[in-house]
Amino acid sequence: MKDIVVDFGPVRAVDHVSIAIEPGEIVGLLGENGAGKSTLMNVLAGAITPTHGEVVIDGSPKTLSNAKVAGRLGIRFIHQELNLCNDLKVFENMFLGEELRRPTRLLDTATMITRCREALGRMRADIDPEAVVGTLQAAEKQLVECAKALLFESELIIMDEPSTALTNEETAELFETMRALKKDGVSFIYISHKMPELFEICERYYVLRDGALVAEGAFADVNENSITELMIGRQLAHDVFDDHTDHTKSEVLVKAEKLSGAGFEDVNFELHAGEVIAITGLQGSGRDQLADALFGALPFSGTLTVKGRRVRSGSNVRSFMRRGVAMVPRMRKERGIHNDLSILDNHNMAYTNARSRTPWVSRPAALRRYERQRKALSIKANNPADPITSLSGGNQQKIIIGKWLEAKADVLLLDNPTQGIDVGTKFEIYHLILDLARREKAIVVFSAEPPEIRKVADICLVMFKGRVNAVLERDQITERNLLFYSTGANLRGN
Amino acid sequence: MKLAVPMKVETGPSVVRRTSVREIAIKIVSEYSFVLSFILLVIIAATVNHNFFSWANISNIFVQSCVIGLIALGMSMVISAGQIDISVGSQVAFIGGFGVLVLNATGSVMAMLLFTAGTGILLGLINGLLVTKGGMPSIIATLAMMGAARSIINHFGSGGPFTVDRAYYDTFRQIASGGVNVFGLSIPYFMIIFIVATVVFDVVMKHTRLGKHIYAVGSNEVSARLSGVNVDVVKATTFVITGLMCGIAALLYASRTTAVAASSAATMFELDAIAAVAIGGTAMTGGRGKIFGTFLGVLMFKIISNILTAADVSTFLTGAFSSAIIVIAVLLQNFQNRKR
Repeated sequence: MKDIVVDFGPVRAVDHVSIAIEPGEIVGLLGENGAGKSTLMNVLAGAITPTHGEVVIDGSPKTLSNAKVAGRLGIRFIHQELNLCNDLKVFENMFLGEELRRPTRLLDTATMITRCREALGRMRADIDPEAVVGTLQAAEKQLVECAKALLFESELIIMDEPSTALTNEETAELFETMRALKKDGVSFIYISHKMPELFEICERYYVLRDGALVAEGAFADVNENSITELMIGRQLAHDVFDDHTDHTKSEVLVKAEKLSGAGFEDVNFELHAGEVIAITGLQGSGRDQLADALFGALPFSGTLTVKGRRVRSGSNVRSFMRRGVAMVPRMRKERGIHNDLSILDNHNMAYTNARSRTPWVSRPAALRRYERQRKALSIKANNPADPITSLSGGNQQKIIIGKWLEAKADVLLLDNPTQGIDVGTKFEIYHLILDLARREKAIVVFSAEPPEIRKVADICLVMFKGRVNAVLERDQITERNLLFYSTGANLRGN
Repeated sequence: MKLAVPMKVETGPSVVRRTSVREIAIKIVSEYSFVLSFILLVIIAATVNHNFFSWANISNIFVQSCVIGLIALGMSMVISAGQIDISVGSQVAFIGGFGVLVLNATGSVMAMLLFTAGTGILLGLINGLLVTKGGMPSIIATLAMMGAARSIINHFGSGGPFTVDRAYYDTFRQIASGGVNVFGLSIPYFMIIFIVATVVFDVVMKHTRLGKHIYAVGSNEVSARLSGVNVDVVKATTFVITGLMCGIAALLYASRTTAVAASSAATMFELDAIAAVAIGGTAMTGGRGKIFGTFLGVLMFKIISNILTAADVSTFLTGAFSSAIIVIAVLLQNFQNRKR
């Protein structure tokens, strides 16, 4: 790939990047979230047409207009999200769009099943080609996704975080297969946040930062520390959040002991009034599930105590709300707001559930509560009867935070609270979090953004594969440490 | 505080400003289009029928609308919660048929009302449990109810009518034909029942927790659950209330016809009720809607069918017209949504 530039409107996602891959080579592509890795790979896979630059394959420039063209040239992309249809069988998924047909134009099911079984066999995955994908475990689905790339003759296979759901043994099998293919001259681009894996399987690396290629070289010449620094780049300029005051009081509001559930294990922490705990971890580290469990939306085992009283798994969200626990959900559009409802109705939702004792909803009272929060949180809104979608993302988020404050919540779980919010409002939300801590609210921020964690957290729990890998005190919270522990770099060789 | 990144310049609705006349007009057209179409329809009807504004005609429209109207009010709730109930016609036939038997056996309208209301609640509860605890799509659960209820009442009535005994005929008939005299105007009971029910539903949907929760569930189930709404209870409640309305409607239907024909009573009521809800501006995907819209929707529906009758259009074609109304109303809704 030569001098690739990709612009999304005014945003430059990829900035004059050139990379070269030899036959039979495994290359690691590194960078933080949003560094442009996926965009660059989508160019190679034909999903995005670059604004500038060209892709040269075997010496001649090629136009990769769509994924099919790329596929014909031997380029396969194994996506990070599982792109499988749950209701179809394994072999139907693997051949989707490229079904084999007999001369009569009818499907050649027998051959497809045989070839599918061969591909799965090469991965040493014990999966029935005729099983329905929906019945498979997440790890098995990921193996199916990988096996898809083996079905057809490939020259270059791009793997975007293929191991997130795999166990260590399964990852080892995957690497075994990759090495075998490599001997046949197949090349790989391997994207991962997991340092131990990168060092094990890849020979060379490319590091992207803010869309630009900032470093390349051989893994043999670097270690986890130096490559982490390369990904972060220069230390970010000091900002107003650096004179951090810890408002932590002695009163324990939430206590989690040996908390386990689907996706997370043995999580322990104490949350005090006025304290801000950040919980971070990569995609698939169990962070999301832990957030939902702490609000009663997912079952868990272990002991969870809120204000001295034990809450049981399986008790519903409302009983958590009544104890003063609030949740600002991740993916605001899908899980946080009601598109069809007005600003006022969205704002009033928590109060009517947690506090109101009558079946009636009083509009004047709801308006009073809304006005109070609108002023306190400086929400920019015109008419409370307007649909919530008329507000910017940041103001929508403030409406959600405000609705919990009116419900008298004093434990706030903020799950990725600045997702899809412009930078200016992000800072307002950070100040709001600190302000709430000053007012002795206990806050848990689930976040994957190191700068954000640095700004607000007193303590940070770093999760890796469902467990708390490190507990960082305020002065230990650095971008380097966050990345180091969330990629499990400290566990290498153990 | 200095920021490296320029603050976003706030534009649009986040800036406090006055709403212009044009915006108000757009708002009326998009949110109250059912009022405009109602006025338009009344004008058309009045030119076709010169007696349109006579009290006899107006009260007659209300009497004809009442049974479908009660069902449509329940249907509004179900649809606002993102569900559908296609069993309402069969429920009316089932409850009405057995209700007549109860009336003939006891001679008491009150006993019949208790029976029809109770049975309606029970059928609605079955629908609600199938959808929530059974995890069925509502169209499948209520399709099963539709088939089962109709088949059972057909079995007991051998397809024929359940007729009200001569002894109770006149008193029972009074419910449908009688009314209250106010300043010389005779206001039919049916008209009062329909208007009172509309007001009750409007208050419930606008000013109670249940109403807010119904819209919340229809708009976004996940958000609703994460705000502490018991989604299953809310959904089931909408089916129970619709069942109750079917129960009451069944009694009124029996009073109007004095005989409930097992195989043909209340057929296609689900189509008419859904059509009324659709022209009333309730979103078929749930989350948005107005009870007043449904109220006008039901009246519009009757006015249209009266125009068709006056124009000598075969009654067999009413189904085609109802279906056309649903399609046009929902297409218009989609068109409006696309503009937003």
